[in-house]
Formats: sequence, C-alpha cells, structure tokens
Amino acid sequence: MTDDALLAYRPHARPRTGRPGAHPGADAGSLGLFRNHAPFSRYPEARRIDLRASLRDPFGEIHVRRFEPRNVVDVYALVDLSASMGFVGHAAKIGLVEDICVAMARAAHRYGDAFGIIGADAHIRRDFQIRATRRRSLETEIRELFRRSTPAGRSAAGLAEAANLLAGRRKLVFVLSDFRQTAAVTDALLANLIRHDVVPIIVGDSAEETDLPEWGLIEMQDLETGQRRVVFMRPALRRKWLDEAARRKSALRRLFMRYGRTPVTVADRLDIENLSRQLMEA
Amino acid sequence: MSLSFADPQLLWLTPLAALPLLGGVLRRSAFPSLASVPVDGLSRLISLALTFTAVATIGSTALALAGPRRGGELVEKIGDGAETALLIDRSGSMNETFAGRPPEGGEESKANAARRVLQDYVRRRQHDRFGVVGFSTSPIRMLPLTDKMDAVLGAVAAIDRPGLDYTDIGRGLATALSLLSEDAGQSSRVLLLVSDGAAVIDPKVQQTLRTTFARTRVNLYWLFLRTANSTGISDTPKPGEDTPQAMPERHLDIFFKSLKIPYKAFEVENPGAVEAAVAEIGRLETHPIVYRERLPTEDLTGFFAALALLSSLALVAAKIFEAGLFTSSLPLGLPEAARPSRRRAA
Repeated sequence: MTDDALLAYRPHARPRTGRPGAHPGADAGSLGLFRNHAPFSRYPEARRIDLRASLRDPFGEIHVRRFEPRNVVDVYALVDLSASMGFVGHAAKIGLVEDICVAMARAAHRYGDAFGIIGADAHIRRDFQIRATRRRSLETEIRELFRRSTPAGRSAAGLAEAANLLAGRRKLVFVLSDFRQTAAVTDALLANLIRHDVVPIIVGDSAEETDLPEWGLIEMQDLETGQRRVVFMRPALRRKWLDEAARRKSALRRLFMRYGRTPVTVADRLDIENLSRQLMEA
Repeated sequence: MSLSFADPQLLWLTPLAALPLLGGVLRRSAFPSLASVPVDGLSRLISLALTFTAVATIGSTALALAGPRRGGELVEKIGDGAETALLIDRSGSMNETFAGRPPEGGEESKANAARRVLQDYVRRRQHDRFGVVGFSTSPIRMLPLTDKMDAVLGAVAAIDRPGLDYTDIGRGLATALSLLSEDAGQSSRVLLLVSDGAAVIDPKVQQTLRTTFARTRVNLYWLFLRTANSTGISDTPKPGEDTPQAMPERHLDIFFKSLKIPYKAFEVENPGAVEAAVAEIGRLETHPIVYRERLPTEDLTGFFAALALLSSLALVAAKIFEAGLFTSSLPLGLPEAARPSRRRAA
C-alpha cells in the first residue's frame, strides 16, 4: 500500500452526530457550507441574518442564512474471521484485510472520525475488538490484533451479532468478508445492520475464481469444514466453474442491492485509489 | 481353495492399506469453500478410483511380502481300481533268465520280463494308486502310494537293475503292508508280490504279519517267477523233506492260504505266462477307490507384486497429472479448521 494516498470514504446518509468533523451533516447550523435560507421566525439566529435576501423579499420577511455543519461519524470495520479468510492465493486474504483496516484507521484519524474493529467467526470474537476510538496508536493496535489471531472459525454467522455492539447513532460499517457463507447468513447480517450505513467489501482472490488450470488433478480441501474433494480439471469443467462463480457473484450483488448496498470488491492487492473510488461511488 | 503365507507375521502390515482412506493421495490445495466447486461425476469417479488404487497398492504390497500361496490342501479323488503295493524281489537271481543263467543275446531276464509286464499293467490302470517296495536282504520303500504315473513307471523301470543277495520276504511283506495301511480309505487294496523264490519267515514275524494282514484287509497276489528245475509251489514233497527250509515256496503258499484273505498265486515259468498272470490280476481288481491327495501349491507372490506394481504406476501417473492450483496448501495432517483456535483458548 502507498503511504501517501489517503483512503476516501463517505457515509451514505448525512451523519447527525453534532460533533464537527469531515462529513456533511444532516443538521443545519451556523458554520460550514451554505445550505439554504430560513425565515427568522423559524430560525432565530441574529448573527446570520442575510440582509440582501431580506431586502429582496417583497413581503418583508427577514431571512437567515443556514449552513450545513460537517460532522464526524463512527466508522467500524466488521472483519470475517472464518477459516476461509485464511486462503492464500495470489495474496493472503487476511493480510489484505489487515491492510484495508490500517488504511481506514489512518483515513479515519485524518477525518477526525473514530474507528473501531469487530471480528467475528461463528460468534463475535471478544478478543478481536477495538471500540471506536481516535487514539493515535490505533494502527499499531490493529497490526497487533491481526498478528495475534488467525482466521480459524467454522462459519461467519457471528457477523450478524455485531449489531448488538453497534447500538446508538447511525454508523458507517464496512463488512470485510469473502461472503462465501450462504445467502441466508448474509441476509441476516444485512437485516441486523439495517440501521447503519453498511458497505460490503468483498475480499476476493483471482486464484480462486479466474486463475484456474486447464488440465490437472486437484485435491481440494475446504478450509472451514475440512472436507476433501478431488477435481479432475478440464476445459469443460473450468468453464462450468467460472460460470458458477459468475452466477454466485451476481446473486450476491442482487442480495446487496435489495438492501440498497452496493458491494465493493478488493482482490489480490490493495489499490487505495481504486478502493476510494468504489467507496465514493457506493 | 485355501490361502497360506510364507511369512504370516508380515500380514500385520496390511492395515496400512487403510491409510489412503485417512490421508488422501494427492497434494491438498486449501480452498475457501467447496460449495462453489461444481459437482462433477467424472471427478468423483476418479477420486474413488484413486483411493481404491492407493489401498490396492499398499494392500497388495503387504500381501506380496507375506508370500501368499494357494493350494497344498488334501482333496479326495475317486479312481477306478485299487491301491496296489508292488512288492518286488530284488535278489540277484531275478537278473537271470527263466532258465537260471545270465541272459545272453536276445534272452530276457526275469526282472526284465517283470518290469515290462508291470509297466504295461501300470499304464493300463491310470486310476490306480501304486506303491513300490523292493526287497532283498532288507526292504526298500521306493515309492509311497501315489497316482503319479511317471513316478510309478520310473520306480518299476528300476527293478531290473542288478540285484542284491538274499530274499528276506517277511520284512518285505511288512513294509508293503505298512505302505497300504497308511491310507485308511475305503478302497480295495492289493499286494502284488513278485519274486522268483521264497524264504523262510521267522515264526515271530509270521505272527506279526498275520495280525497286520487281518487288520489291513488286502488282496494278495503272488507272481512266482519259477526258475526251471527249482522247487515250486505245487511240488509234492518227498517224504521227510517237507520243511520250510527245504521247500520255502510251498510253505509260503501254505502260510498265505492260512491267512484267510483273498489270495491267489501265479506260478509262471516263461515271460508269456507272466503277461497272462498280470492280465488276470487286472481283471480281478477293478473297484472304485477314494483317495486323498495333496494339491500342488501355487505361489501367488508374483500376482500380488504385479498388482502392486500396476497400481503404483497408476498412482505415479496421477501424481504426474496432479496440478498445483494454488500456492497455499496445508501441510500433511489435520485440516486447518480442525485445529483449535489458539486465541479462543487463551
């Protein structure tokens, strides 16, 4: 990752935290970018009376200028720690997740947002948590957290439980997962986090989807269940495999869109500019 | 069908054949989720075949090491004929002609004639079992009861070799009887005594023979090759000379008759008569017989070694065809997911 590039993100909905920050807020205030005019009777702020607008009003109404304050938002990264995240293809998935989290922490610090991490496999991982904070040591803490634990869970169903830890104001929640769990699990996760700004980040790897050999015998082992299967790879099967991957991807996308979330994909390496663009578009 | 092993303790290696069921054959590639791998019939078939081949490789190697062999058990066979013990006189006089002198020119010795006729007899009776005992000063067990015609013919062919001195007929009879009584089958037994003379049997030996004959239930034939001018079975004794020492043939005949078993003596004085006598014996002795025989063992090591080689080659082919799809693969042993989480335990 490049150190100088700063990850850009924005909450989908305007935050209403009341604390000054970097993101356009939902409240109207007396600082920031101009938003609109309001009658003095409704918004009695004498310091912001707009003389020009008041004089122009044929009915003699006194207008007050309103500004939109920029607010902070709490940012959380929800990290899937199921064993499938331990996959190492062209890159280690969990390493990629770590880099993304660090980049987010750095960006959150620059924007003045608090950043926290919640890890989950089959259940919430109590040992893999940082409550939203603005500590400057956050980057080191995140690195330490990832160094200490390996993804070994049998499922990612615990991600949905994170809703209990994310009570209170609307937060920006990045879900970092390979989303290889069943649609029902993902559905439950999205339904539980409906109050928050959820951005699903699909962590993929080109080795598992596109970078397949044409011929060969491959014995695969499921990282989560430990099941083994021998696959006799040949062009016809490869095509079928790719078709299936594409179908799974589009089904996943449809599921996210039903909740109004646009998925963001990261594969192989962290490209901050690319990720920023996707995050801003989401 | 029975299996036996040269080194049965090596069979303890065979449980190793279960290893491929536990460990798998190919290098494993870790994959996030098999749910996204398409189910494929051909792959499943190959997977089963691979596991089976690996099991066969280890199993057949272990079996080949143990040295398996088949056969070697006793089987019952039914033949048409009798169990015949040929008791053949190997005394020196058998090498003379019927005229009582060494053979000259085209003449045939008694042993020669007996050999020729007995060989014919043996050849004609393919289902009989024969045992051969020779006797002179002491009896020689030449061949136990068998239906291997080659061996019998070989034993019979050897009877015209130059013989030895005396004729100890009592011990010869005892040996031939022991040959017959080894096999406790239901078949009819024949003792064919071929000799050109007789000898005195000790009264003690006579007593033993009597009980053995009674127990063995044997048909006795005596082919007496009589030399010209010698004493015979049916010679009437001169007064005062009727002793076993003077007329052993006559007294042996009397002894045989007193045994109360089926008995017939053939007194022959030329080769033609030998043939006639043997033909008559052949006519008399045709009964179904049941006998048991040990089957030859068949070494199966080669078969299992070949099987092990073939399946190993198949595995090598599979290994050559093996593709390393991903850079990550689990070390041999437990799958990653089965390992307890370090962090949670802490």
